[in-house]
Amino acid sequence: MAAVIPVIFIAVMAAAAIKRVNVYAGFSEGVEGALKFTLSLLPCLAAVFIMCELFEASGLSAMLVKAAAPAFEFMGVPPELTKLILIKPLSGSGSLAYLTKILQEYGADSYIARCACVCYGSSETVFYVSAVYFAGLKTKGLLRPIVICLAASLLSTVCACALLKVM
Amino acid sequence: MNAVFTAIFICSAAVLCALAPQQFLPAMTGGVRAALAAALTLFCVYAVWMGLTSVAEKCGITREAAKLMRPLCRKAFRTRSDEACEAAAMNLACDLLGAGASTPFAVKAVHAFEKEGNGFAQKLLFIINCAGFQLIPSTVITLRAEAGSASAANIFLPSLICSAATLAVSCGLFLLTEYISKRVRDGRGRKSGASRCRRVTKAGR
Repeated sequence: MAAVIPVIFIAVMAAAAIKRVNVYAGFSEGVEGALKFTLSLLPCLAAVFIMCELFEASGLSAMLVKAAAPAFEFMGVPPELTKLILIKPLSGSGSLAYLTKILQEYGADSYIARCACVCYGSSETVFYVSAVYFAGLKTKGLLRPIVICLAASLLSTVCACALLKVM
Repeated sequence: MNAVFTAIFICSAAVLCALAPQQFLPAMTGGVRAALAAALTLFCVYAVWMGLTSVAEKCGITREAAKLMRPLCRKAFRTRSDEACEAAAMNLACDLLGAGASTPFAVKAVHAFEKEGNGFAQKLLFIINCAGFQLIPSTVITLRAEAGSASAANIFLPSLICSAATLAVSCGLFLLTEYISKRVRDGRGRKSGASRCRRVTKAGR
């Protein structure tokens, strides 16, 4: 499975060489585009990260986790996952760090770690994505898609925890 | 986003101000530092993949791929723009492979949709991306293997089922609410318009 990605690269490069395209110039052009794109992303990233950091430092996130844990437990989600579920929509790197911690603490093959992995895999950093996609655009009515995404990923978390009890 | 940012910022700042005001500035600069670190990681990933796609674009591979996707794309996103189709197709391909460079293409597609004033397509693409659908959850498998799992890849099937469920539920809900709000806007009694809308909704699914 790991060979798929190098094969794609080789195929594209070979096709370009056969068609006598300047591979070197084309590739560096793409990297230039990536640099411009990352720079245009940076203001959004900075704002979102400042918000996350403040949220964490003020202890509000810990309070929220404490308050939300019983509700999650009621839906069959282990309370250990509460923080992961709440962090995921805000910050990709934060939730990745926390997932690593769960894996180490409970062991990679434990029920909690497996739940955490599926939850991590089937949701996205909704607020961050919406900030990046719609930066500088005038699109209206974004609240509804955001709420739908959050509801769907919550639902999938509940499903995952139920599903992994039998699988 | 504006509302969320403002609310969380003010609440957190107020709590910090009351409990530990000296932590306020370090937390903010720390956030920017984390953002820079994240941007650097993202740049590495984007540079590799956008370099590749730029070569692919030059020899016409992406154009051919987009041509194949065009009929599907037109129906799903209700668009006429080839540029948007190409970007959306690249975005979805990257998502499926878990290549990590889907965001630049999504942004390109969203901007192309903006040109034709297609808010519906922008939101649909956003929702598809937020479901995080992946054929191979490569990050999670790698992490599990590193943590000493006996069979790291056995997360594959449950993960696939759950992300497919997320995708189906979120797209379904979105199309449903879109349909309802359109019907409310059109007013009652225009059944022909409503049934046409329902057909499009089905095709989109």
